[in-house]
Amino acid sequence: MRVSLMRVSPLRAGLARDVAVAVAGLALLLALPMLFPQPALRDFLIYFFAYGLLAMSLNLLVGLTGLVSFGHAAYFATGAYAFGLLMQSGLVSIPVAALAAVGGTALVALVIGAICVRLKEIYFSFITLAFQMFIHSVIVTWVSLTGGDQGLRGGIPRPPILGLDLNDARVLYGTCAVVFVLCILAMRQVAQSPFGYTLRMIRDNPARANFLGVDVTAMKLGIFVFAAAMASVGGLILALFVSGAYPEFAFWTTSGEAIFMIMLGGMKVFLGPLAGTLLLQTLNHYVTIYTEHHGLVLGTVILVIVLGLRRGLADVLYDWLQARRARRAAASDPVPGSFEPAPLADGALIKGRTV
Amino acid sequence: MGTNSVSGRAPSRRQVLGGLAAGAAITGFPHIAGAQAKAIRVGMPTILSGRVAILGTSSRAAVQLAFRQINEAGGIGGRTLELVDRDSKGRPDEAAKVTRDLINNDGCEIIIDGEASSGAFAVHEVIRDLPVLCLHTCSETSSLSADPKLHVKTAFRCARQGIHDAVAGSTYAARIAKQKGLKRWMTCSPDYAYGRDNTAEFLEFAKLFEPSIETVDQVWPKLFAPDYTESITKILQTKPQAVYSALWGGDLVAFIEQSNLYRLFANVAMFSGGLGDPPVLTAIKQLPPGLNTAYRYNRTYPAKPANTAFADGFAKIAGHEPTNWAWQTYLGCLFVAEALKRTGGRTEGAKLASELKGMAVAAPFAVGETITMRDSDHTIVGYPVAWGRTVPKAPFVEDFSDVDWGKIVELETQWKKGKGYA
Repeated sequence: MRVSLMRVSPLRAGLARDVAVAVAGLALLLALPMLFPQPALRDFLIYFFAYGLLAMSLNLLVGLTGLVSFGHAAYFATGAYAFGLLMQSGLVSIPVAALAAVGGTALVALVIGAICVRLKEIYFSFITLAFQMFIHSVIVTWVSLTGGDQGLRGGIPRPPILGLDLNDARVLYGTCAVVFVLCILAMRQVAQSPFGYTLRMIRDNPARANFLGVDVTAMKLGIFVFAAAMASVGGLILALFVSGAYPEFAFWTTSGEAIFMIMLGGMKVFLGPLAGTLLLQTLNHYVTIYTEHHGLVLGTVILVIVLGLRRGLADVLYDWLQARRARRAAASDPVPGSFEPAPLADGALIKGRTV
Repeated sequence: MGTNSVSGRAPSRRQVLGGLAAGAAITGFPHIAGAQAKAIRVGMPTILSGRVAILGTSSRAAVQLAFRQINEAGGIGGRTLELVDRDSKGRPDEAAKVTRDLINNDGCEIIIDGEASSGAFAVHEVIRDLPVLCLHTCSETSSLSADPKLHVKTAFRCARQGIHDAVAGSTYAARIAKQKGLKRWMTCSPDYAYGRDNTAEFLEFAKLFEPSIETVDQVWPKLFAPDYTESITKILQTKPQAVYSALWGGDLVAFIEQSNLYRLFANVAMFSGGLGDPPVLTAIKQLPPGLNTAYRYNRTYPAKPANTAFADGFAKIAGHEPTNWAWQTYLGCLFVAEALKRTGGRTEGAKLASELKGMAVAAPFAVGETITMRDSDHTIVGYPVAWGRTVPKAPFVEDFSDVDWGKIVELETQWKKGKGYA
């Protein structure tokens, strides 16, 4: 009993801390529009929520499991289209449509993932890209259902739910913020669970994981489906925001952008992809205002970060903090022969960890 | 003593701040209000980068020309028109975001939507949420204004549309087919919704007007394909008498250039809906004579001094001849200016929309004297839908032959009934 408590309590402490951080984050997100009431900030943040979920969910595959998917936007788009079509049918409420869209996307991902996760490395990447382009082609050619290359037209109705009118921009923002924080919290719990640590083991040494009795394929499939479901929530938020769904959501460039966000933010820190999303979307927002040569500016920034820092921004910040902490610890504990952590500037100690 | 000391002391920080606030209210606010009253900001989401950037850059140049002329003529009751443009990169979600930004953040009171296809639908939905006046000036998709389910009270289309072009093009093609005995037809159009819809509508009406027309084959090259050899050799093997193509832009340039190598047009009559755009015509190194094309823009048609003046003014700003999108956007500016004049400078979407309904403006491009914004479905009628034939040198297209708008409207009404739109 005592042993059991000792095992459980750190988990509970971790969960309590995560919930506390999530509540604080949500409070900040809800307070921001009150401090800065410009509608443009709300719009920007909703956009950030949508693409942030896409990048965060992709990092469950790339950073946590070592599966570099080039086709993650397919599930982003599937969620958007499924939600949009259900709402346009007028048969269901927003929560039912949202749950059905996420569930439907998970089913699609289950079928596709069952094929993809059996492949490794570049073959996995290419087959995910192939499935994405397949879904993109279905969207473009199934004109009677999806509207083809014109997208889902006619708007997405937002009937009130439990007294909440999502046609009110402030209510829409608040709802999106709550959904966003809940999804981030769910992803955090998965990453910190035994399942999450099994995925790290698979990433670092799949042969050893297999030898230890882990069903590697099933584990990969599990995270593939979960990541797709989380990406679909991002698509759903964007569909609500723009009141439509478009084939561009499923195009390979959207997946490419998500990979850029992860590269810019970093893979090791859990919220790193969000930092990348914020950076990319902010740059995109302001650079577009001043010049149409935004590709040149964004490309330069990405080159500087990739070639200059060789890590994401959040990773750089984390490594710097760790190095400083190590230096302080070394300075306050000069006992000869005592344990000294290895230099952290190159990230060697934390390599492979999601923090 | 106490009272005296209070009255004689230095003002507190709160009093200073209060005084500053009051001062700002007296001096600053009228200044801001004056600045707001001076210019009417018009937002323009459009595509300024990527493959079809010319759509946005030429539309923007048209607005710059129109606003300069309007402002030089005294503006709207002394207020000037100011353009705020923003690149959507051709992404519909980005188009929605920048449109919201233009309205919410940049204070734009009117939107001139320079988006193509899906981007225009995205902007349309934003206008449903934020009902400022919006003129779509580039989207040719008929359902944008024809489908009553998509109707938005403050949104209008100031651009040609597919169904009008289909009726006009097939009327012209049927006449030529009858004259020259062209019975065996083939099509070569891009493989996506616009290409297939446009081609289907053209053939439907062409066969209606000239029942002897027979479709012997159809080829569907991919959109943005660099190589059309396969399609061209298929046409050569099938040996049709005429080919209709919905290819456009750089794809059409590549198709014509590559067809020249095979001397395709020596024995086949070519009908194209997109060839008449000046940038396309000038991009083709050896423009074959006698190709049939729809009017997209031409400085010699309609033959009016105002049209030539527009072309000259535009070329000074853009450095090239006007595009189809340019005249449509310029016309949109004329509608906006006229509506603002009628409302006395009031910019409420509903107010401007009520003025725009049924409005007729004298435009350099009008076939008659005016182009009308139709009341029932918020779209323009009376614009040039002529077809002509190519010549290798400027003006590149001549012998324009117009189609009666009465006939177009009649067949459009039937088409709407068939689609369940009317």
